[in-house]
Amino acid sequence: MTAVPAASSSPVSLVNGRSRDGIMTTVRYGLRAHRWAFAGVAFLGFVSPYASGASYLAAAGTAAARATFGRQTIALGPQLAYLIPLPLRPDTVDGYLWWKGLTWLTLVFAAWGLAAATGLIRNEEERGLMETWLASPLGRGRLVLSRAAAFALAAAGAVVITGLGTAAGVASAKASISFAALLEQGLPLLGIALVCFGVGLAAAQLATTRRGALALGGAVLLALYTLDAVARVNPGLDGVAAISPFHLTDLTTAIVPGGRFDGGATLVLYLIAAVLIGLATAAFRERDLMGSLLRGRVTAGPVVRSPSDNPLLRLPVLRNLWQLRIGLIGWVVGTMVGATLIVSLAHGTGKMLASLSGFNRYVQDAGTTSAATAVVSSIWLGIAALIVAAYAINQTSHWAADDAEGRLEMEIAQPWPRWAVVAERCATLTVGALLMTALGSLVTAAVAPGQGVHLDTGRLLIATGLLALLALTFGAVGALVIARFPRVAVPVLGVVAVASFYIPLLSPLFRWPGWVLDLSLFHLYGTPLTTGVYWTGLWVMVAIVVVGFGGSMAAMRVREVGR
Amino acid sequence: MAIAIRTEGLTKDYGEGHGLFDLDLEVAAGEVFGYLGPNGAGKTTTIRLLMDMVRPTRGRGEIFGVDCHLHPVEVKRMVGYLSGEMPQWGGLRGRDVVAFVGGLRGGVDSARVSSLAERLDLDLGRRYREYSSGNKRKLGLVLAFMHPSRLLVLDEPTNGLDPLIQQEFYRLVEAAAAGGGTVFLSSHVLSEVERACQRVGILRQGRLVQVARLDELHHLRYHRLEADFSGEVPLEAVRALAGVEDVAVEDHHLSCAVRGGFGPLLEVLGRGQILNLVTHEPTLEEVFLAYFRDQGEPAAAPAGSTR
Repeated sequence: MTAVPAASSSPVSLVNGRSRDGIMTTVRYGLRAHRWAFAGVAFLGFVSPYASGASYLAAAGTAAARATFGRQTIALGPQLAYLIPLPLRPDTVDGYLWWKGLTWLTLVFAAWGLAAATGLIRNEEERGLMETWLASPLGRGRLVLSRAAAFALAAAGAVVITGLGTAAGVASAKASISFAALLEQGLPLLGIALVCFGVGLAAAQLATTRRGALALGGAVLLALYTLDAVARVNPGLDGVAAISPFHLTDLTTAIVPGGRFDGGATLVLYLIAAVLIGLATAAFRERDLMGSLLRGRVTAGPVVRSPSDNPLLRLPVLRNLWQLRIGLIGWVVGTMVGATLIVSLAHGTGKMLASLSGFNRYVQDAGTTSAATAVVSSIWLGIAALIVAAYAINQTSHWAADDAEGRLEMEIAQPWPRWAVVAERCATLTVGALLMTALGSLVTAAVAPGQGVHLDTGRLLIATGLLALLALTFGAVGALVIARFPRVAVPVLGVVAVASFYIPLLSPLFRWPGWVLDLSLFHLYGTPLTTGVYWTGLWVMVAIVVVGFGGSMAAMRVREVGR
Repeated sequence: MAIAIRTEGLTKDYGEGHGLFDLDLEVAAGEVFGYLGPNGAGKTTTIRLLMDMVRPTRGRGEIFGVDCHLHPVEVKRMVGYLSGEMPQWGGLRGRDVVAFVGGLRGGVDSARVSSLAERLDLDLGRRYREYSSGNKRKLGLVLAFMHPSRLLVLDEPTNGLDPLIQQEFYRLVEAAAAGGGTVFLSSHVLSEVERACQRVGILRQGRLVQVARLDELHHLRYHRLEADFSGEVPLEAVRALAGVEDVAVEDHHLSCAVRGGFGPLLEVLGRGQILNLVTHEPTLEEVFLAYFRDQGEPAAAPAGSTR
């Protein structure tokens, strides 16, 4: 009689002392854990290049039209240079597809890598799953490496589907592309995903929570990305930017006519990923479960029996801001750093951009005659709009977490009306967004004169207030979705943000009707610093806020909690 | 006598037989009422209906005469609540959680919190994520008991608590009742309910099958006994004993159920050569199954008002 079940009956069986089945089990589990993210990224990976290619002929069917289209795109490129590389050969389907359909996917794969790694380690620790894995006869190193392998497989699958979308997009424009070019273009995409996975994995060894790891890894990647973005419009920084994996990814333009595959840069990407994953694995072996590698010995302080006397925890709105204070400081500082960086380079950037054909038209459209002012008005405030949208999406994810993690049930168990929960969320988002935008604008106002940019204080105030309204607009959409489908609120908002970003860019290229523009929340914001308030946009945003938060309050009154 | 909790036909139908059905229940003010049932019986659903977390399919519930669904804020002013699963407060310290939840109620009595933390031996200076499951439960108890309430609704309150703290919890419940408060606590542990409550309601498969005073339920309790003999098993003598049921013998192994004391049985067993003797308390589900089998009732008999 044996007290231990036969190995074959266990999901993790030992074979010659090695847990091969265990590794396959964790790889399979890892693949399962990535399935929704894989579906989303693969969908974007296919649709984005395919749609770009498929729409190309409609926009530029003849040689003359392609030349015009190319010039327009070149003019459009600089205002997006902080987000994606400058366009190359947009007068060809391959060039346009690379710029429009593929370059932004770098950010998607990067975000996936970071989120997957922090989720793999910290989220599973917080949910108690890691304890279960480690109770099986599978070493920590093998566990992490098998999960990294699962991510690599999932990411490779998404890259392959992106390649298929690229090929389909090119074919739809009645052109062709070589398999070698597709392979060369896909390799750095997989490389950046693995690097960001490595960064996330390393951050997860230092922070003690999933959010902390996400914030730490995100801050590192944001800094590296910003370095690359700044170097795009300031070629003098190319040398420094070489340390950024995003820069190494941008160097490959294999599918663009006359482009190149930078094998050295791609190899460096994979080496960085291998080193980061290796270091993180070693660190995971050394640290305590639920602990940090850097954490010192816990010193036993005096036992506390009394409640906190922090008055902020007792006041509506402030209690939420206090709980999220570290994240809020990050958002505020990030906004201020972004404003400092972009506005302090406005003169040089404007000068460089003005040398590009078509940029003067863009400057005029921005309602100014100064390229530097256009940089502040359109590029910086455009990015600030993206930042506040991201902040609103982040807040929405907190609201969804309140629901999933039981805090909403605890709040509702107290004697205050359910609608007040939504009202407090709305007020918290407003205060947070105002804090970010006001301090960002303060920096803008302080730095701009040094760049020869003279801003109208009244308009800057209006632009600042409208940015907060834009955050509320995104928050209102999120609040409405959360009232019924809390799990999908963040993905839905992500889709709204991406669509809002692309509609103003694609609308003139494809001559969409004017009302389509008003479907973009960013278009509703307008360019208040130079062209004044876009009143239609303002009223539509106000309507969305009223309907969104009002609807959410009504839904909160009738919805069920805690099931 | 004032009624603290009253439900009339309270139903939450989740489909496929899951949920709570036709609950008619009255709990008197000042009473400690145990709500007993196996996992999935509908205890938490009942509590969530009373707390207006989920909405009834039909029927109604009221607390001190106030409709739970129509006036939830008024109801919650009167209630101290401990949920079955603690929320995740992440990096907040225990003292911050107390201040935060206290703030939602308009204030917190620091002296009372300190006294509770002392009695439950809880360090409020630690971060929530560093708490063990038992300490998380203690924090939940502090949150439920920290403000004066007419009714305490506690969902499986002693889960994860060590025996010493469980005793302290029972003393807190007794003190609350002595102060005129009402306690409604759910549990799947029979001995816990026996220790703390005056009356119990037994829930099974979403239906209230019995409400009774505790002394009326003593006949439910039994133990299983198993013994191995080196020689003959005194089978006939065992079968002849009052309170010994379900007797079975296989080779030299005896098993039976015992209600009441073990004395007479041990005396009879001592006549043989015992090699091994084991007793264990059956699970609540086993107790219920035995009880309902004896009663010849269907598994999920409608309860009606059984006060």
